[in-house]
Formats: sequence, C-alpha cells, structure tokens
Amino acid sequence: MSVLRFEGVWKAYRDWTQPPRTLRGVLARRTSVFGARARRWALRDLTLELPAGGSLGVIGHNGAGKSTFLRLAAGLGRPTRGRLTVDPDTAAVLSLGSSFDPQLTGRENALTAALVAGMTRREAQRRLPAMLDFTELGEFVASPVRTYSEGMKLRLAFGVMAALEPRLLILDEVLAVGDLAFRQKCHERIAELREGGTSLLLASHSLDELRANCEHVVWLHRGGVRAFGDVETVLDEYERASIERTYERTPVGGPREGRLRLRENRFGSQEMTVDAVEIQGTAPGLPVRSGDPLHVRVALTATDGPVKDPIVVVSLRRAGDQAVVFDLSTRADGVTLGREVARGEVTLSIERLELPAGDYALDVGVFEAAWEHAYDYHWQTYPLTVEGPPGATGLLLPVHRWTTEA
Amino acid sequence: MVNIVGSASRTNPLPDVTASSPTEQAPLPATAQTARAGRSWRQLGDLVLHLVRRELASTHRNTLLGWAWPLLRQLAQLAVLVFLFSKVLNLNIADYPAFVFTGLVAWSWFQTALTAASYSVVANGHLVGNPRFPPITLPLVAVGVPLFDVLMALPLLLVLLATEGRLTDTALLLPLLLAAQFAFMAGLALVVSAANVYLRDVQSAVGVAMLLLFYLTPIFYGLKKIPPEYHWLLRLNPLTAFVNADRAVLYSGTLPALIDVGIAAGATALALAAGLALFRRLQPGFVDEL
Repeated sequence: MSVLRFEGVWKAYRDWTQPPRTLRGVLARRTSVFGARARRWALRDLTLELPAGGSLGVIGHNGAGKSTFLRLAAGLGRPTRGRLTVDPDTAAVLSLGSSFDPQLTGRENALTAALVAGMTRREAQRRLPAMLDFTELGEFVASPVRTYSEGMKLRLAFGVMAALEPRLLILDEVLAVGDLAFRQKCHERIAELREGGTSLLLASHSLDELRANCEHVVWLHRGGVRAFGDVETVLDEYERASIERTYERTPVGGPREGRLRLRENRFGSQEMTVDAVEIQGTAPGLPVRSGDPLHVRVALTATDGPVKDPIVVVSLRRAGDQAVVFDLSTRADGVTLGREVARGEVTLSIERLELPAGDYALDVGVFEAAWEHAYDYHWQTYPLTVEGPPGATGLLLPVHRWTTEA
Repeated sequence: MVNIVGSASRTNPLPDVTASSPTEQAPLPATAQTARAGRSWRQLGDLVLHLVRRELASTHRNTLLGWAWPLLRQLAQLAVLVFLFSKVLNLNIADYPAFVFTGLVAWSWFQTALTAASYSVVANGHLVGNPRFPPITLPLVAVGVPLFDVLMALPLLLVLLATEGRLTDTALLLPLLLAAQFAFMAGLALVVSAANVYLRDVQSAVGVAMLLLFYLTPIFYGLKKIPPEYHWLLRLNPLTAFVNADRAVLYSGTLPALIDVGIAAGATALALAAGLALFRRLQPGFVDEL
C-alpha cells in the first residue's frame, strides 16, 4: 500500500509573462475565454511511489519542480496529464507566508488551522493549549500574525502540525528558518511521527537535513527526475555534480588578486565574490593561541545583480594531510543573509578554538541557494597558525585536566 | 530524462507496513484522488460555524456600534422606502412599513450573501491554499454570515407586525422558508464563487444583477400592483416567490400560494444541483488560479 502515487504526471502552469486576457484579445481571437492559455511545464512525466511508512527527500535547484511536486502531492491542484493518488490523511506545511490570515492573532489562526485540518470544534478547543504550548510563543499568540517573523510563523505552523497524526507529512523547506532549539524540537516530533508509521515527503536545500530524515531521495531537474535512489547515492551524485558545475562555470584566466588565482585556488561562477576575509583571534595583530576565540569576517559583493539567499561556508583543514577540522555553513545553522543580496558581510565567531598547535588553512566560499554550484570558493587560501603547548597531536585539543591517584 | 518507478521496485524496501502502521485502509479509487476527501458532516459544519463566527467577529472589530450596523442599514433603507412610497408616491398599501420590512429582510440577506459569495473563494487564498481545506465552505460561510443580520432584524419585524395585529400562527412557517432560502442562495453562491475564480467579471456582474433585482423583486411594491402582462418578467426571478411566501405567512397571515411554493422548491433544487455540479468540477483548479 502506498500513500502517494504519481503515474506519468505532467503539470503545466499558466504563463504569467503572457499578456492578460482581455475582451479585445478574446474578440480578436488571440485568446479564448475558457480555452487553453500559454503555459509552462513545471513537471514532466513524473512516475513515483511512496510506500506507507517510507520517507522521501526532494532536492533540485530553484525552478526544478520541487514545489509543484509537493503541492500536487498535498492535493493542491490537479495534474494536467497523468494519474495521481494521494492518501486523504495528508498534512502539509508548504509555505509559511500564505497559510495564515495576517490580521488574525496566532491563537485564532491556530484554531482555524485545527478545524481546517479536520478536527471538530470541541476537539480543536481541547487541543489548542497543547498546540500553543508547543509553539513557545507565550503572550505573542495574542498578537496578529502580520507582526510575526518567519521563525514565529514556523512555530505556529508546527504547533498545529504537532497535534496531528497524519499518514503522510509533507514539508517544503520550512525548517530552514527559526532557531536551532526549535528546529530540533520539530525534528524530534517528525521522528516520533515516523516511528508511529507516518510517511514523510521533505524538500530541503540542506543536505544534512535530508540525510537525517530520509531513506530515499529524488533529484528533480527541469521538471523531470534526474536521479532517484537511496539518500547517500543521490546526494553524493548531487554534490559531485555541484563540484563539476562549479568547475565548468569558473572563468578561465582573469587577473590574479593577491594569492588568489582562478582555477587554481579560486573556483566558482563569480556571480558573487568573496572580497575580503579577515581572521582574528583575541585581538587584531595578536597570534591565535589554542583556546582563543576565532572570528572570521567575510565580505561579499554580487557582481551581476543581487543573488538569492546565498550560503556562506567556512571550513578549516589541517596543513599537510588536509584533514577536515570543521566545515560550517550558514545553511546548516539556519542563518539566512536575505532574499536578495547585493552586498553583505558575514562573521563567524567561534568561542574557543580548541586545536593543537600547528598550521591550518581556511576555505571560504559562497554558494548558490540550493548548493547548485559555488559562486566563489577560495580553496586553502587563508593560512592559520595556532600557537599552543607543544606535543599535542590529533585534531582536537579539548579543555582538559588529569586527576591522578597513586 | 530518467524515470524510475519509486521504492516499490527496489530491492531494499521500506518498513513492514502491517507491523507498524494503523490497520485501517482508506479505499483508494483508481482515479485521481486528493487529500481534500474524508471529512464528516459534523467536521464540515463545525468549520463553517467557526468561519462564520470569525467573520462576524472581524467585521465588527474596532467598531463602536458593532452588531447594530447591519440593522441600522436595513432600518435606514426602510425609512427611505416608507417615506418615498407612502408620502411622496403613495402606493396605497395597508400597513406599508410592515409590508416593506417583510420584503426587505429577505432581500438584504440575498444581496449581502451573494455579493460576499462572489469573491469568497478569491479573497480567501490563504485558506484555499491549505491542502486540507474544503473550499465549499467559503460560499456557505458567505450565505451564513448575513443570516445573523436577519436574526437581528426579525424581532423588530415581529414587533411591528404584532402592533399592526397581523401576526398569526402562519408566522411559525418562517423558519422553514428561511431554510429554503438558505438552500436556494447556497446553490447560487456555489455558482458565482466558483465562476469568479476563473472570470473575475462575475463579481462585477453580480453587482449589476443586484441593482436590477432590487427593482425586479416585489420588495417595495406587491405583485398585485403590476399589470398582469408583466408578471412573467417578475416570475423569472425566483426571489419573487420567496418574498411572496414570506409576505403570505407574516403580513397576510395566510399559507403561501402554491405557485410560489412550487417555484421556490424548483429553483432551490435547480440552484443546488447546478451549484454543486459546477463547484465540484471547478474546485480542483482553484489553487492554480489564485
């Protein structure tokens, strides 16, 4: 038995770039009142099945058809061609912006959402306190939703969700916002539901999130399936393709900027560039010692118009064997730079750099919102020497002490 | 482009379904089926009532007179009509205020409900975009909200009728007539709300229709005042039958005429059938148009 079955599904949307329908157009026979209009194919011949209890991740860059796929799976809209079967007991969080009435309070919206989800009035009122409790919004539940941040909307949406036990749960990149603790709580709830037999359909740009939640992944590309399989295989392929695309898009030649040279230690399409990287320990000019704080400031500029929601990555490798010490990204930590970024500055602060003395080098990069390719990646460009007690080896020098009894 | 049938065909399949998941199996018909199915009448009714309550609360939020406004509007209209047709142009109808008010209550409900219904789906994109939301509730809510205005005006109308000595036991039939009018309007509301999603001209057309219908319904005049050769014109408008029936039981103290009952019943059945058929057909496309 499956909770979701797509059989040769095609989906077209109206082409909004075409001129709107007017009486003049209808009379001049350029358009018809009810007939076919110019359309764009968002999904092409998709065949897929999600068995009960299964979990499927969806990946692909913007415009690949992810949202269309998820909307259809949630029962919104009908396929233009093909056959679609959806379990009636499906719950979805598709977009945070449009699912609430901005004028009504969080509490009123939660009650409405519960009734919309199919509860009776009595049931909804009985469960409302638990839902609001889950959101941790406190007194803000009495404020209109228009005053909410994205993170608060996520809290509200998940509060309602947490009270449901659907057979299929669909999430469209909603867990990218909000603070870490709450996202963890959401993930725990999802895991709980999965144990109870709920199937999961999850679209995400976070490869870690997909790895943590999904058994299988479908990679959509231009409305079709580019790859399907178990999570590791598909995501590895996706990452390899990202590296290849980055290399392909890296311009040849170009001026040498300081120690950076394109195609040698600098890769990426250069749609957005990393202009400056400042590394600082306790204070400017001082050497970095083991256990010191470390601040990495990255300045970014878009070269060809603003870019959408870029991801900034900072990773550290040990000199010599290139062992990865850490690999941090704004995406993994739920930090966004904004919808349209023309110029930006990001600072990564590490409280204590608990590393053995030695030579290291930082990689700094900025990526397309779906990890499709790198805009600019500076590979092993920023050396970092850590001073500290001699003799320590290994990747980590944790705060430690010995207690002896002889 | 590669298409692979999903996990069902893979060698490493998914957890044993029978072991972990609930045993009840929803019937899955062979044709396309959406998540909107599966909801009891009780749940649907609760949702409609909740949305009506919400609508009433938000309309009257931040107003001084609140609930009294719809009543004031009806009374203002009543005052103008009574002044015009008993003082300026005397139509010679006995107990004219009670006569007009009877027709006006039914009319106000009709006008407010259908105007609201025409944009009910279009204006509630945030609800329609929710996978579990049944859009059919929206036109029903649009018809239900102004029923509250009717219930506000009713005590006043009954007092007016009683002081004129016109209130008889036939008035007990009113709830039945209101229920019939609700069903009739629900059918029309389904038609206009669904059509307006595809053709926004509908809500403007409804506005024009309301302007015409106010004069083509015997509200401030009676059918008797019209030359018989024009009766067909007013008979084309089913609302005439509802107003006539209301007037029979309230104002005249008689049972409704058979022709009015027949037309009202026929129009209600027709409107409901057409409304449900059209709405069911158009509904799956709503989200793509909003």
